[in-house]
Amino acid sequence: MAENVPAVEIRNLVKEFKTSFRRQPLRAVDEVSITIQAGEVYGLIGPNGSGKSTTMKALLGLVAPTSGHCAIFGKDSLKVDSRNDVGFLPENPYFYKHLTGAETLRFYGKLCGLGGKLLDERVNELLALVDLENARDRRIGGYSKGMLQRIGLAQALIQEPRLVILDEPTAGVDPVGSRQIRDLILKLRERGITVFLCSHLLEQVQEVCDHVGIIFRGKMIREGRLEELIAIEDQTEIVLKDCNPELLAKIQALVGESGGASFIRSGKPRTTLERLFLREISEEES
Amino acid sequence: MSTPVSSPGKGSHIGRTLTICMHTFTQLVRMKVFYFLAIFAVILIASNFFDLPQHNGPESNGSEVLGLIKSWSLGAMTLFSVVLSVVATALLLPKDVEDRTLYTILAKPVPRINYLAGKLLGVLLLVFVSLALMDLLMTGLLQVRTSMVLSDQLAAARHLGWNEAAIKSLESEILESGPNWSLQGAVLAVFVRSAVMASLALLISTFSSSTIFTTVVSFLMYFIGHFQADAREFYMHGGEAGTTTVAKLVSLLVSMVFPDFQLFNVIDAVIEGQSIPAIAMVKLLAVGVYYALFFTIASWFVFADKEF
Repeated sequence: MAENVPAVEIRNLVKEFKTSFRRQPLRAVDEVSITIQAGEVYGLIGPNGSGKSTTMKALLGLVAPTSGHCAIFGKDSLKVDSRNDVGFLPENPYFYKHLTGAETLRFYGKLCGLGGKLLDERVNELLALVDLENARDRRIGGYSKGMLQRIGLAQALIQEPRLVILDEPTAGVDPVGSRQIRDLILKLRERGITVFLCSHLLEQVQEVCDHVGIIFRGKMIREGRLEELIAIEDQTEIVLKDCNPELLAKIQALVGESGGASFIRSGKPRTTLERLFLREISEEES
Repeated sequence: MSTPVSSPGKGSHIGRTLTICMHTFTQLVRMKVFYFLAIFAVILIASNFFDLPQHNGPESNGSEVLGLIKSWSLGAMTLFSVVLSVVATALLLPKDVEDRTLYTILAKPVPRINYLAGKLLGVLLLVFVSLALMDLLMTGLLQVRTSMVLSDQLAAARHLGWNEAAIKSLESEILESGPNWSLQGAVLAVFVRSAVMASLALLISTFSSSTIFTTVVSFLMYFIGHFQADAREFYMHGGEAGTTTVAKLVSLLVSMVFPDFQLFNVIDAVIEGQSIPAIAMVKLLAVGVYYALFFTIASWFVFADKEF
């Protein structure tokens, strides 16, 4: 596979669902296009029912696109072999309660064609990665919400996929568990694994993502590099090192003399992703 | 990250199917379904001590008990295996969808036919093991009881001064009522019927979202299957309609879709002490495999395009 093949390529994805009570089909995803390069962490954000999960399911072949095309590392998502390179953690997963943590990982590993010593080593490695070594022989039925999310992340990584898709990975998890999952995502990024996640926790998305897409009522309304999206367009940031008050005063005076520009403040002019998100949504609604 | 350990295409269809099969078996075992074996043992013991009013002469004393053990055992086997195969199959698929575990499985390189076949084989493995254990209990008890009846009857016959030929005939008659290959054939027939029911429940559960609906419709089909052959016969030969080509096609279609469970009446014949001819057993197996495959392939067609 060529190096420049995107990890994820979604082109003009449309997904309509038939409804029982309405003749008009419900368009859950409307002409959405996303390209994620290998090694990136991409966050898809949007309100409930905006089409995030449907987009992810289309990418995994769990739903068939009404029109458009989805590919993982150049392979059609509707083909089974595209899933050799992907790991998926659904929202609020419930794994088989009768299995222990280690048995769960072994089960998913075998489904991916792993076995023997290699699988044993992989199970041990992943249990250590998600900090569940002490709970390896405990049945999943006794796991807390945070532990479930972590074992879910471990099963997603069992075959060492190049792409990991996480649907609300911190939903319902307490702040400590949420932080652990955030750290795991950062570890994945360090290892060069592409991550495609959707989350309601915008601060967390801001912390881990390189690229962000905002989806609303099935349409992609804003997309790009996070740093560019959250920069305030009509302001310019000058970063100075070892700037003394006198120099700052001179700069302020110079700006004042220029007429058109004005000095607002010294510091880091950044909005938050949350503000950006709410602004985009309110603009779209109005 | 190091080089991915799973290259495209790694893992075979058989390997993945067996993984899901063994997992389904483990899941059902851990749901404590084997507890019903204790109930079966109680039924078996009860049948052993059940006293029937004696209508025949003293020479048939005890023979009724052998028939009763077979009747109760095969009845209980039929009940447990059919209920187990329908309920377990109807339960497992919707549960996986509801718990979203199906997403995590299908998000792996697992073709949907592997998933379906694995689930079905897991249920069938459980039914097979259950029937094997019940068969072992039944055969063991029947063996012991046959020896006792034989000993009592032969002693009584000698006491009455029967000649050797009559005694030999009596011995042969009693042994025929004991454990034999026809009895094992009947157990196999019970398994084949369960396999047909499990695959039928699998088909229904692929388009139903409710366990109750799947269970009720499956049992309805089971009921229909017991008189479809009679209804078909009546339709074909009961009036003028039966002679038309359309009627023949309808009849063929009905027999293709609705399994004819009257074929499994051989079980009753075995209880009555008759033996199953080998050709009848082969026919039964062939019909069972046809229906099981037909329903499984139909399930695959529905499930292949199902969206979650």
